[in-house]
Order: sequence, then structure tokens, then C-alpha cells
Amino acid sequence: MAEINVTSAADGSLISSVIPDLGSVITIVLILVAAYLIVKVADYLLRKISEKAGRYRITVTMIIPLLKIVVYVSALYFILKTIFDPGLTELVLFSGLFGAAIGFGLKDLFTDIVGGIVIAFERPYQIGDKIEVSGTYGEVTDIGLRATRVVTPDDSVVSIPNYAIFQEPTASQNAGKTEMMVIIDIYIDSRSDAGLAMNILKDALITSKYVYVSPTRPYTVLLQDYPFYRRVRGKAYVNDLRSEFEFRSEVTRRVWVELSRQGILPPPPTHVPAEVAAK
Amino acid sequence: MGRDPDFAADLTHPILFEAEWERITAVVDEYDHNRPSHIAVIADPFAGQNILMDGILRRHPDRVIHIPFFSVVKSRDYLAQITGHKDIVVMDHCHFLATRKIGGFAMLDAFLDHISTSERLFITQWNSFTWSYLQATRHIDTFFPVTIDLPDIDRKTLKPLILSRYADEIEFIGDVTPREEPIFSAPHRTVKLPFSNKSFTIPVPRLRQGNGGVNSIHPADAEDAAFDKIIRIADGNYGVAERLWDATFDGKTVRVADIPNIPCTVNLDINESFLLMIILSMESVSVVDLAEIAGPEINLKQALFRLTNQGLVVEEKGYFQIKPEALSCVKGYVTRIRMVW
Repeated sequence: MAEINVTSAADGSLISSVIPDLGSVITIVLILVAAYLIVKVADYLLRKISEKAGRYRITVTMIIPLLKIVVYVSALYFILKTIFDPGLTELVLFSGLFGAAIGFGLKDLFTDIVGGIVIAFERPYQIGDKIEVSGTYGEVTDIGLRATRVVTPDDSVVSIPNYAIFQEPTASQNAGKTEMMVIIDIYIDSRSDAGLAMNILKDALITSKYVYVSPTRPYTVLLQDYPFYRRVRGKAYVNDLRSEFEFRSEVTRRVWVELSRQGILPPPPTHVPAEVAAK
Repeated sequence: MGRDPDFAADLTHPILFEAEWERITAVVDEYDHNRPSHIAVIADPFAGQNILMDGILRRHPDRVIHIPFFSVVKSRDYLAQITGHKDIVVMDHCHFLATRKIGGFAMLDAFLDHISTSERLFITQWNSFTWSYLQATRHIDTFFPVTIDLPDIDRKTLKPLILSRYADEIEFIGDVTPREEPIFSAPHRTVKLPFSNKSFTIPVPRLRQGNGGVNSIHPADAEDAAFDKIIRIADGNYGVAERLWDATFDGKTVRVADIPNIPCTVNLDINESFLLMIILSMESVSVVDLAEIAGPEINLKQALFRLTNQGLVVEEKGYFQIKPEALSCVKGYVTRIRMVW
């Protein structure tokens, strides 16, 4: 147990200082190391298991942030218990110091940690999800206590502070599922046979090696007419969100091979679709 | 050797798929020419679906037009056979009507158009994986009011079926091999510590997997143990169970340890997995048809080599099919990666 020194200040108020002895310091270090190792090992094992879990990959990874919080909160509890058996006086004192620390400089850190806890329990997104927050789009690879790490399509790792979920809308493309809707647009000349183009896109979607179709995950093909071109839009689910771009690429390539074979042309260069020009 | 059973020939006592057989005959007997209830018999590869289809041919030889498909259907010529006074059409391997490529559903659509207006009763047989795919993407089940899924078989069904082939008594032998490995051991392993060049040898605890080859089967239980093991490896598939039996039975004895249990280790990329799924869904598919489905993105020769090399598919006269012993493994793999739904 740590030694508690109570001294009198000049103004007569009590100032308690907690000076842990060497044994307590070693215990605290061991608790921290153990917590760190437990989190790292469990994180590694759960990720390994999730990669072999197929469609249940994201279900397995969603345990990771919960586990981190449980381990670190437990570690904090044991550290406090090691330093002092928190009685009412110590708790009040600790709360006061903690509040002051938050007020002076740790506000953002504290908000991030609360954000991390909210993310772990409310699960607006999970590890493995494809999300868009603060203009960043990518796959969530880690939900830490302070920040969420996202890998963007160009393989950049972006750390998004957890407090962002309080301030900005968060879009999860797959909401914890392995499959994800992908929208594929094909622009054709307005004089082309739109019905044939729709059939070709439909066939390309449902014959793709990446597609997933079920009663709750249907596919759709839609046509939108514009003054100088037509947009054929296909919506279908990719069986694994990691194959999002491969799915899009494969379907687009096969559609254009068949469209060209059938004499269906893209819009003339003078009439580039506004959506394409904007991109 | 005993004789091969011809269950369909013995229509008074069908042994395999009795309930399914009764459902089909009931539909045929109640067949109303104004509103035929077309039948879809759905089964995994090798499951024994031909027993039911052959049974119909034998039961109604004067009423049935038989159209079996053996490869991908590329013309509507088969529809020309559906003429005359015969009022039942039996079609085998209907999964060859659809091909997983752009424009690959024309034959299926022609067939569905035909049965939509026909007064004949169509009894069709489909691969279960193709059926699931067409059900999800083309709602094919809406054309077939009667769908019959062939169930997995169990030991109680398999045992009399197999043993009825043989007049002589068969000796079943449980495994009697010496203990090869203790239940718990701690073999030494050499490890290197980080930031150090030194190696250390430490004991690593290890639990024995399985029973280590030790005989735990009582001789009286060896027969049931053999059929239990066959059913487990075959995952309830009759055709696979039959092949496992043939591979184990030496004419006089069956040794439980000799029943082949191929380890399921699949290491494929997305293109190879796709081809594997196509072969599973089409049961037997030619290289030419595979090339059309694969397209230029897939190196077909290399992919087929790897599939063959991993013991997942076999080639016979230019046609590829799933290796029966690997069926359970392949099904599990393509389901896990969501290639089939």
C-alpha cells in the first residue's frame, strides 16, 4: 500500500500528496505492462480469427474496442487501488485534481476517450467498416481510446479523433456487415439502345465474381435521361467490402466490352456528363 | 463383389429418398393439364438425384419425354423435342441452361418462356448451388411450385444400402496401432529474443490432437464406426460416401483407419475461387465453357493447375469436376468466402 503524507499548507488547508513506495511503483508498472500485453495479444488473436471467419469477420473485430476499454479501465482501477484504497476523501481529492486537469489541458483528450467509449458501446461503426468522417473515406483498422484509424483507398492511414462523432455526421457504408452496396454508373450516348444497355449492366452485375445477392440485398438497374447522354446506374452488393474497387472495375470493364460489341457508344466528347466533369 | 443396387428399378420399395419419391409421384398422379405444378429436384453434386429421375422414366415410360443435358446449352433445339402426345418432360442437369456471363441467361429465359405457356408437367433436376444463385438473381423458384431438396443421408440409411450389395460377410476392423504420441508433451523449440542474437531452447507444451492412432473402437462397434466415419467425411452425400466405401473396401475387409480423410487446406486467390465455384455449380464443365466464363482476366491454365494440384478438382476427357472426396471442403470454402449464397 502506498504511503499517504498529509501536510499543512500555509493557509491552513490540507494538502494531501500521495507518494507511492517502490513496491507500489513496480506493481503499477506491471499492471500497465500486463494491460498493454493483454490488449496487444487479444487484438492480434482476434484479428487472426476474424480473417478466417469469412462473413463474420466484422462481428469478431467489434469485440476489440470493447475489450480495450474493459482492460484499460480495470488497469486504472487496480492502479488507483494500489496507490490508495480510495476512501471518500481520496475520491473527492482525486476527482478535484482530475477535473482541474481536464479544465487546464486534457479536455480534448478526455473528450476523445469519452468518444472512444461511446463508439465501443453504441457502435456507429466498427473495425472493418468502411466509413466517411470529416471528408475521409476508408476502412476502419483500429478504434483506440483516443482516435480511430482509417486506411484510405490510396493506403494512407488517417487518425480521426474520437470526438469527431459528437460533431460531425458519420457514414458507415456497411453498418457492421461484410457486404456493401456499390453504385456503378455507365454513361452512354442518348441515341443508344438504353434497354439493351440496362440488360448488359444487369448481367454484368449478377455474373460478377464479387457480387452478393439475397432477398435483403437485391440489385437494381436504373436509367436517367439527360439532354445529351443517358446514365445507366447499377446498384449491387459486393460480397466483401474490401473488394469494392475490384468489383466496380470488373463490372465496368465487362460492360464496356459488351456495349462496344453491341454498338453502344459513350457520349460524344463535347457532351461530357456534368457528374463526370465534376469528378 | 456384390451387385450395384438399382433402387429406381424397385419402385415398390424405394430405399433412398423415399419421402421425396412419394412427393414426386403424388404430384404426377394429381397432375392437372390446366395448371401443371412443375417440379424442381435440387441436389448437391453426387447426391444421388439420378435415382429419382430414373425412377420417373421407369414408372411412366409412355408418358415421358427425356431431355438430359451434358454440357452448357447453346441452342434452343432441345425445345423442338417437346412435341407429341407425351405429357411429362423430365430434364436432367438443368443448371446447364444458365452460364455465368453477360448474355448467359438466354437459354434459361427461353426455357422459362416455354414452361410458362406449356400444359406439360416438367420435372427438372438442378445443382443446388446453381439453383440458389438463380433463385437470388432470377427468382427461378417462382416457376416451380414444387421444389424438392434432397436431404443428407445418415448412417442408418447408408449402411443397409451398401451392405445389400454383398452376399458374403464383411469383416470390419478397428484400428490397432501402437501409441505414437502421449496426450501431453513438451517438445523443445529454439527461439530468438528481440534485440538479441542469442537463441534459447525452451519447452513448448503440446496437447495431442485426436487419439494418436490408439485403438478405442471395440470390435463389435467397428462396423458402425466405419459407416459413421464415412458419413462424417462425406458430409451426408450419398455419392461421396459410396466412393469412400469403394476406396476402402478391399473385397473382404474394411479397416476404419483406411477410410481416406483428405485434409481441407485451400489456398486460392479470387479468380481461382471463382472457377472453383463455377465447377461446383455446373458439376462437370469443359475447358472451352470455363474459358468463356473466365474471360481475359483469369489465366485459365494456371488456375486449373492450382485447383487440380490442391486436390480440389479432377479432369476427365477435357471436363472438370469437383473431386468427390473434396466436396465437403469445397462447399465449406466457397460458402465461407461468400461465393455461393
